[in-house]
Amino acid sequence: MHALRLLCLGAITLLLPVTALAQGGPTDRPPLDQAAALRGKRLYAEHCINCHGSTAKGGPNGPDLIRSSVVLRDRLGSGIGPAMRATPVSHPAALTAEQILDLSHFLRERIEAVARNRTPRGPINVLTGNPEAGRVYFNAAGRCHTCHSPSGDFKGLRARISDALTLQQRFLFPTLTRSDKQVEVTVTPASGPAVSGRLMRIDNFSVSLRGADGEYRSFSRVPGVAVVVHDPLAVHHELLDEYTDEVIHDVVAYLWTLE
Amino acid sequence: MRAGAVLVVMLAAAVHVAGQGRVDDAALLNPAPDSWPMYNGDYSGRRFSALSTIDSGNVTSLSLGWTHRIAASGPAGGGGASAAIIKGTPVVANGVLYVTIPDHVWALDARTGRELWHATWPSRGGWHIGNRGVAVLGTTVYVETPDCHLLALDDRTGQEKWRTEICDLDQFYYASAAPLIVKNHVIVGVSGDDLDIPGYLEAHDPETGTRQWRWYTHPDPGTPEAATWPSAEAMLHGGGMTWGSATYDPELNLIYFGTGNPQPVINGRQRRGDNLYTGSIIALNPDTGRLAWYFQSSPHDTHDWDSTQTPVLFDGTIDGRPRKLLAQAARNGWFFVLDRQTGRSVVSTEYVKTNWARGVDPNGRPVPNPQKEPQADGALVSPNQGGAQNWPPPAFSPQTGLFYVNATRAFSVYYLYEDENDEKPQGWGGNDRGGWSEAMLLALDVHTGKARWQFKWDGSATTRSGLLATAGNLLFAGDGAGNFVAFDAARGQPLWRAGLHASLTNGPITYQLDGIQYVVVAANDTLYAFASPRR
Repeated sequence: MHALRLLCLGAITLLLPVTALAQGGPTDRPPLDQAAALRGKRLYAEHCINCHGSTAKGGPNGPDLIRSSVVLRDRLGSGIGPAMRATPVSHPAALTAEQILDLSHFLRERIEAVARNRTPRGPINVLTGNPEAGRVYFNAAGRCHTCHSPSGDFKGLRARISDALTLQQRFLFPTLTRSDKQVEVTVTPASGPAVSGRLMRIDNFSVSLRGADGEYRSFSRVPGVAVVVHDPLAVHHELLDEYTDEVIHDVVAYLWTLE
Repeated sequence: MRAGAVLVVMLAAAVHVAGQGRVDDAALLNPAPDSWPMYNGDYSGRRFSALSTIDSGNVTSLSLGWTHRIAASGPAGGGGASAAIIKGTPVVANGVLYVTIPDHVWALDARTGRELWHATWPSRGGWHIGNRGVAVLGTTVYVETPDCHLLALDDRTGQEKWRTEICDLDQFYYASAAPLIVKNHVIVGVSGDDLDIPGYLEAHDPETGTRQWRWYTHPDPGTPEAATWPSAEAMLHGGGMTWGSATYDPELNLIYFGTGNPQPVINGRQRRGDNLYTGSIIALNPDTGRLAWYFQSSPHDTHDWDSTQTPVLFDGTIDGRPRKLLAQAARNGWFFVLDRQTGRSVVSTEYVKTNWARGVDPNGRPVPNPQKEPQADGALVSPNQGGAQNWPPPAFSPQTGLFYVNATRAFSVYYLYEDENDEKPQGWGGNDRGGWSEAMLLALDVHTGKARWQFKWDGSATTRSGLLATAGNLLFAGDGAGNFVAFDAARGQPLWRAGLHASLTNGPITYQLDGIQYVVVAANDTLYAFASPRR
């Protein structure tokens, strides 16, 4: 039993501390005391873990404490203290008020961890593909090589991107913010010559551009006005319907090799 | 001290607007043209007005009648959006327009936009992501609060009559929906997906606030539907919130609403199965809260795709037979037409292209592709978490027979946050990230689900504009670039537009007072009332 306890303590030690608090729930909860939560974690491992589990989500002999209304309504031990004292057979340890307070902070931290786990708590590993398959796709079916090359615009790619997750996102959803390319538009008024330039803004009722001469021009999209937009990223948007997840992982694995 | 005792009421003027009578049961069953007496305008959810003072021939004569900027620094407390953004639909009754954000209700003169009163109150917390609006009955205005209360306010002053708790803030529930009045029931829904809690819909007495019934969005343990969960514990903590709008068929005496996604939200590996009654369209008896039927539009959702979009009621002819129908353009990108007496499928089809379903089963339900569940290294999914549709309300015109939806076609990557030390995922356990999207206005043929016409919103990645159809062959809609547009409802041609300071953030409404037809929309913190020439 003691070995099990030590093993489980190792598991909860891996849990990262929660620093920011969830935005939902009541605002009358006292501030989370991280030092108290750490002391509470040790107490939990000593007195509670065998029944309530390594993550306080319950076990064969004890309920889930994250989903416990007693714990959720607890304020600095106001709920869990009386609840434990009322059930001395299952809670034989005579904990002091300070220890109950520490346990309260620990459980509060566990609840916060669940309430915030829409945010990743560790790195996301997206390097699961086959780099060689990705290279083949890059140079054949994906037609990536028609615009990009490892010795050209992708030279030293890895050094310019902080991590593979960011690379995956930029591969799928590129922007022009780091590019010398831009969205071009040509507007042909009902009378007069066509005007081209960098697209500034467009909706169904107006369009504006900045010409090569630096001048800003806007037009109402009324009948007779022709607007042609050339977006260098349009092909990327169309590819979203073609990519398989396997291709995505392969291409990212390949691009990550481009030192 | 009771929170109600510190209710702040600012009476700009103790003026009782000379009106056309307060809302009663008959007025809710047959809304008068001078009113918009509930969230969707009437019980059908069609957002179709019989007014035709403004029509496709004279819509260019619309002019700005008034504007009103809500004077608030923002919600009073809690998490979520901090800005004062009107995401609800105003209610108009007795010459007064009621508009809300979380923790605030304003009463305005519907003719002028002048403030009559403003009620606000301290908050104990909860997500302040939005408030969908009020319900009115007699002299009472009902509103939900983020800290889990249903408030009843005096319609002349904003003074609190009573409040009652409708959910447990300590379990991270919150409340944002617009209540619905059906006979002597105030029907309220609840929200919350931080922790794993069950959703429910409940009814309260309009006079006292006493709860009349509560219907949980999970099956009773031991029933066949309960077998769609791996365990009773997973089911009883399985989500399915009720934050959308409900509709009502008085003849069948059934209310209809959609349920939210199951929980844990993204990591569904410990809740294998269809997870009834999450992601479903539900029909209940409003007097008893008893289930009549259900149709699950998103079995075993793992993408946060609530099915809370409005179930719109209309009648039609299918295979030569008149039918009472219901349609929903769901967040998952699928369009469903059901027989609303039985819940049986009539049409099930994508209304935007998606990539998460392998097909449709014999009962009309999409069949999820397990490979498009969130993955540790990412799965490219369409639509994204925001969905092909979300809370902005759709519209249906009985004149054109078309169902209108402001749709988004979007991609993102869904990640699963795996933790080998945690055998019991809770909360979310993943999320989506990044993306690309485009927005379009669709007019769907309800017999096929295919677009009779579509209008791509150039330059708009998405839109949060609801829709309004009128008997003047008009469809009002907004894009993501600040344009408020009137379309020819039958043909999809834009006929009139106004450039607002921001994009629409709610659903347009219309009413007629003194021979002037008003069309009112919100863009962030400002209401714009466009007015016709006096008839």
